[in-house]
Amino acid sequence: MELAVVARQAGLRVSVVRRYLALGLFEPSAGTGRAPLFAPSSAARAAKAERLRRDLGLNPAGAVLACELLDRIRELESRGPNRSG
Amino acid sequence: MAVEYKDYYEVLGLPRDASQDDIRRAYRKRARQYHPDLNADPDAEDRFKELGEAYEVLSDPDKRGRYDRLGAQWRAQGAAPGNGDFEDFFERQGFDRDMGMEFGDGVFSEFFERLFGDGAAARPSGPMRGRDIEAIIELSLEDALNGARRRLSLGDGHSVAVNIPAGVREGQRIRVAGQGAPGRDGAPAGDLYLLVRLKPHPRFRRQGDDLLVDVRVAPWEAAVGATVPVSTLAGTAQVRVPAGSSSGRRLRLRGRGLPAGDDKRGDLYATVEIAVPKELSDEERELFEKLASVSDFNPREGGR
Repeated sequence: MELAVVARQAGLRVSVVRRYLALGLFEPSAGTGRAPLFAPSSAARAAKAERLRRDLGLNPAGAVLACELLDRIRELESRGPNRSG
Repeated sequence: MAVEYKDYYEVLGLPRDASQDDIRRAYRKRARQYHPDLNADPDAEDRFKELGEAYEVLSDPDKRGRYDRLGAQWRAQGAAPGNGDFEDFFERQGFDRDMGMEFGDGVFSEFFERLFGDGAAARPSGPMRGRDIEAIIELSLEDALNGARRRLSLGDGHSVAVNIPAGVREGQRIRVAGQGAPGRDGAPAGDLYLLVRLKPHPRFRRQGDDLLVDVRVAPWEAAVGATVPVSTLAGTAQVRVPAGSSSGRRLRLRGRGLPAGDDKRGDLYATVEIAVPKELSDEERELFEKLASVSDFNPREGGR
C-alpha cells in the first residue's frame, strides 16, 4: 500500500508517517524508489509509535527506539526462558 | 446510586503531602509501567487511564485543593457533595504542558465528573471559534444564472440577507461569513455554508450544465427550413431549423445553458417536434393532397 494509505489506516497525518519512515520505523516492502509500497503492518507500527510519543512525552526518535526495544523483547521472550541473545 | 471514591494519592503511591515534583515523577514512572503498549496486562489500560485522571487532579493546585476538601467529605459521608446535576461523560485530552505531553483521549470517571463537572475546571478552556453550519438553498435556474438576493431566517428569529452571485452551479457552496454557531469567550462565530440545489424548471430539463427544450415547428417549416423562436433562460432566441428536419432532431444553441464555472456556460438543445394542424381549410387540404400526389416520399421505407 502507498504511504498515504498507511497514514489513513493509522489515523495519522502523512507528514507524521513520513517522519517515522525517515527514522527507520518501517521500510518499503515493494515498489520503486519513487513509488514505494508498504506492508499493512507499517500502519500499526506508526500508530503505536505515535501513541507512545503522545502518551509518554517521547520525541519521535525515542518512540522509534521504544518500538524497536519492544520488538527485541518479544523476540527474546519467544525464544524461551533459557536462551539469551 | 453511590459513586465510589477514588483515592488519587494511592493510585500514584504518594502521601497526601506530596510535592508537585513528587507527583509528576510518580506519574511519569507509572505511566511508562502501565501504558497499554508496554504492558500486556488486560487491566493496564484502565490503570493507565486512572493514573492520568489522578495526575490531572493532583498536578493542578485548584483541582487538588477541591479534591482534598470535598473528597474527604465524600469519603466520610459516602455520598456526593452538592455539586449540581450529573453530567454525561465527554472526551477530552489532558495536557502536561511543561513536559509537552498528553495522556491520550480517555474518558474521566464518574467520580471525577461529580467533583469537577460544573464545567469550569473540566472543559477545554479558552476562547473557541464557533462551528460552521451548512444549509441547503434551492434556487430557480434563472436565479442561478443571474444571481439573486435572499433573506434567510435563522432559527432564533433573526434573519440575514444573502447575496447569491450570478453563475452558481448545482452543488456549489456559498459562504456567508459569521452566520454559523456563535464563538465562546469572545472568539468569532463560525460561517454558514449554503449548498446550492437547483429547482426543477417548468419548461427546461437539466442535463448537467446543458438545458433541453422542445421546439415545435410546422410541417412546411421542417421540410423547407425556417428560423423559429425558441425560449431560453434569458428570453427568446431565434434558431435555424435546417430543411428536411424530422421530429427528434436536436438543434444546438451554444452557450445558452447553465453556468459551467470559469465564465463558461453549457448549451441549450432544442428538440424539433413537428406539429400538424388538427383542422385544415379547404385550400390547405387541396394543397396537401396535391403534394401527396406529386411526392414519392415514403417515410415508412428506407431511402429519402
